Amino acid sequence: MKWFNVLRDRLRALRRRDSVINDIDREMRTHLHLQIEANIKAGMSPDEAREKAMRSFGNVNRAVDAAYDVKGGGLFETLAQDVRYGTRVLLKHKAFTLIAVSTLALGIGANSAIFSVVNELLLRPLPYQDPDRIVMLWEVSPGGRHQNTTSRANFRAWRAQSTSYEDMAAFSDQRLTLTGNFEPEEVSGQLALPEIFKVLGVQPILGRTLLPDDAQPKSPLVAVLSYGLWQRRFGGQPNAIGQPITLSGNKFEVVGVMPPNFQFHIKQRSGTGRPAEVWIVLPMPTNSTENERGRFLSTVAKLKPGVSAEQAAAELRTIEARLSDEVPEFNKNYSAEVLPLREQFFGNVRRPLWLMLGAVGFVLLIACANVANLLLSLATSREKEIALRAALGARRSRIVRQLLTESLLLALLGSALGLGVAWLGIKALPLISPRDVVSLQGVSLNSSVLLWTLGVSILTGIIFGLAPALHISRLNLNDSLKEGGKADSGQATGSRRMRSVLVVSEIALAVVLLASAGLLVRSFIRLQQVDRGFNTDNVLSMVVRLPFARYPEDAQLVQFFNQSMERMRNLPGVRSAGMVNFLPLYGGLGSSTGFKIIGRPEPPPGQGPSCDVRVVDAGYFATLGIPILRGRNFSEIEQREAKRVVLINEALARKHFPNQDPIGQRLDVAMFETPVVTEIVGVVGNVRYDSLIDEAPGAVYFTHPDLPYPFMTLVLRTDGDPTAIAPVVQREIRALDPNQPVSDVRTMDQVMSEAVSRSRFNTFLLALFAGLATLLSAVGIFGVMNYSVALRTREIGLRLAVGAQPRQVLLLVLKQGLALTVMGVGLGLLAAFALTRLLTGLLFGVEAVDATTFATISLLLVFVSLFACYLPARRAMRIDPMRALRYE
Amino acid sequence: MMPTVSRYHYFCVAQFKEIFVAKDKADLLQGTLDMLILKSLSLGELHGYGIIQRLRQLSDEMLNVEQGSLYPALYRIEQKGWVSARWDVHETGREAKFYKLTRSGRKHLETQEASWDRLVLAITKIRQATT
Repeated sequence: MKWFNVLRDRLRALRRRDSVINDIDREMRTHLHLQIEANIKAGMSPDEAREKAMRSFGNVNRAVDAAYDVKGGGLFETLAQDVRYGTRVLLKHKAFTLIAVSTLALGIGANSAIFSVVNELLLRPLPYQDPDRIVMLWEVSPGGRHQNTTSRANFRAWRAQSTSYEDMAAFSDQRLTLTGNFEPEEVSGQLALPEIFKVLGVQPILGRTLLPDDAQPKSPLVAVLSYGLWQRRFGGQPNAIGQPITLSGNKFEVVGVMPPNFQFHIKQRSGTGRPAEVWIVLPMPTNSTENERGRFLSTVAKLKPGVSAEQAAAELRTIEARLSDEVPEFNKNYSAEVLPLREQFFGNVRRPLWLMLGAVGFVLLIACANVANLLLSLATSREKEIALRAALGARRSRIVRQLLTESLLLALLGSALGLGVAWLGIKALPLISPRDVVSLQGVSLNSSVLLWTLGVSILTGIIFGLAPALHISRLNLNDSLKEGGKADSGQATGSRRMRSVLVVSEIALAVVLLASAGLLVRSFIRLQQVDRGFNTDNVLSMVVRLPFARYPEDAQLVQFFNQSMERMRNLPGVRSAGMVNFLPLYGGLGSSTGFKIIGRPEPPPGQGPSCDVRVVDAGYFATLGIPILRGRNFSEIEQREAKRVVLINEALARKHFPNQDPIGQRLDVAMFETPVVTEIVGVVGNVRYDSLIDEAPGAVYFTHPDLPYPFMTLVLRTDGDPTAIAPVVQREIRALDPNQPVSDVRTMDQVMSEAVSRSRFNTFLLALFAGLATLLSAVGIFGVMNYSVALRTREIGLRLAVGAQPRQVLLLVLKQGLALTVMGVGLGLLAAFALTRLLTGLLFGVEAVDATTFATISLLLVFVSLFACYLPARRAMRIDPMRALRYE
Repeated sequence: MMPTVSRYHYFCVAQFKEIFVAKDKADLLQGTLDMLILKSLSLGELHGYGIIQRLRQLSDEMLNVEQGSLYPALYRIEQKGWVSARWDVHETGREAKFYKLTRSGRKHLETQEASWDRLVLAITKIRQATT
């Protein structure tokens, strides 16, 4: 109860100070009168009685004050006073307040924006039940490739032999064609075992999820819809439950609808590249061996409580080792891994995000240093006022508290404005963020972000306010109160030293940021310059996916695609056309398929060579500008009938036929149920299919008749703007099959741009922050030099009066600024040497300590700060000696 | 127990004379002064002047609490809920603020007195042992 009473009293005192004091006064006076009356009773004269009473009472005012300190006063009252007073000070110095608040707003705003992303991706619980227990199970290929999909057979073994999990579900994202009495549409489907809903623990908003019974053979086909698809196709009507839909030619019954925010999208191995819109049962045929060993399944599981991911991983590796022994021809040298779901989703962005948070932290520190500098200037102009307060009896702690209140006010104003900056930032982030990495849709200014911002602003208020406050409160009263003793006084020197320290640290921080940004920019440029092996100018691409229900025969696929290519080639404005199953740098499965070279000794299982397999037509190479280096392209007849011929790329030729003509050699590529021997007829240039960073692996190109695919990406090189031709192409496809949608229409430039989007995103953000840091530190050094010139007006005037040239004065000031800059750059470079190492992994083609980058940014910073010093230097040069001397 | 001992030490050295005056020592003596005020009120309702008079009487004129110390202490005790206050007409016809011990105040006084007694006993034993 005590705190409550105190609070009540103090709040009352805050509101009705006079009445509280009156009350105390009245009580004291009563006391005095009682004493006087007692004295009179004891036989004193009234005057004597009064005097004696007064003397015994002591100082009445002091007594009242002491009593009031209990009833009111204290922190509340002084805080209210300080806030009132601080507001007045800030209003009086409008320019100062404006600059300080906007500087802080930038610093705090950038911080809150980045924190909101960190919070959303790295801190907030994932939107599933017990998300910390959800893990992904993957295989690791003999080549060391992580997060590999597994086979039906291996999944069954995992499920049967493991004890770490409550539930386990396999799934595979596949594109499905949704048809009906509307335009055919390609939707992203998740073929999953019903247990996936138990693992994720998410309830439908309508109907039910998939149930184990749905996975029984011969049970009716059912589908669960995403909220979006339900809205789009059924107008959000509840009677959608029980309705039939046709997916890739099969009829399904709608049994449930998931909530709007539900999605489960593992981008790394998704065959669709976008979140699922419909869930259907993954067929797990037990009687056939067909596709039993094809590796295409992703696995998600929920750990039993108390089981760690490490324990589960150890168990899984044991099981996988057993599989490797039992079925060496498929599992030799395969290993397995268990990834916590958050790691799966955001493992690849965690490091860049923390780095960004560090970068905005630096920006904020620089902003703090600037505001501290401003406060020092302000404090200097208030020296007399503060000295006066001290002389009137204000204790040092009281003055420090007053000054800190002012800086906290500034910080809070700054953070209020900063929230606006953060809001803009959050709105802008998705526009520049890489689509394929993470979705930033959920990022918002929620309560944790607000709390963080409040914390940051209080912390910054103390950081930038404490030094000036301590400094000013240490003032020597006499010196400050004496007129004119200012310019040469000890405090001015002390404050100048503190300002120099602040500016040097600002520059050092800016150097670190600039160095990091510089390294990322260089990496980005390198990445753009990589010889990717194909030409993207004026190339349009689009995907056509033929549903199995309507195209069950391989010959139908071949015929459809050949016919469509013919139509493409004859379109006006199309220079060349071709097709490929998976475009370079655009998803696909990055397959590494084993092969044998006929006539060479067979390597032990799991140790044979592997290659990337692509299905193309002859027009593909010309369209993407891939050169044919030796031999020949596919012939006309080879594109219509299976002739068992392949092309290989230069990398494969170099590696496996170093001193031999590969033309005429024969390969058995393990793409078929039974061995199929194909002959190499040509060698083409390397193409970086998987990523720009990695060297192109060996590749084998098949023709469509040899290896029919139900979906192909059409590529067209046009005379002019390639996007203009897209509608025409779609019309041509529909002319062939009115039920056939076209998807993923994009230019190759867009594909390229997406491939480097992550690098671009990191580079852009860090460059932005580094630019901000440079600007702020330039403002900082400008402020310091300006102040220094103002302090030295008399000295400079004297120099000019005794014959110094204005040029010499200019150099004097520039030299001083340069000294600070060089010190800052030196310290910053030292820090950069230590810190840029953290960027490893984000860099490409450049070392973490890169002399060129470091030298460039150092020079840049020196120039910027020289420019910032030039303005005050010019002012110094133009000082009128007469006026300067008379001024004092 | 350190603070209590030093408080007692000061108490003895000051010989009950104007010990509640110095502001800096107020914290040190707070607990003791609180106890004395509560004790004075345990005999009945009193105003501030009355508390001082009663303490003087009870201590045979040895203890003189100054107003400057009394009122802050009284207000603090009031905030702690150990006394309640009301304005009433004094026997002289003047209005005065009267303080009255609350139940929790009485309880607090009892524990304070008990621990004080223990302390005095302990110190007495120690002194007897050393002399």
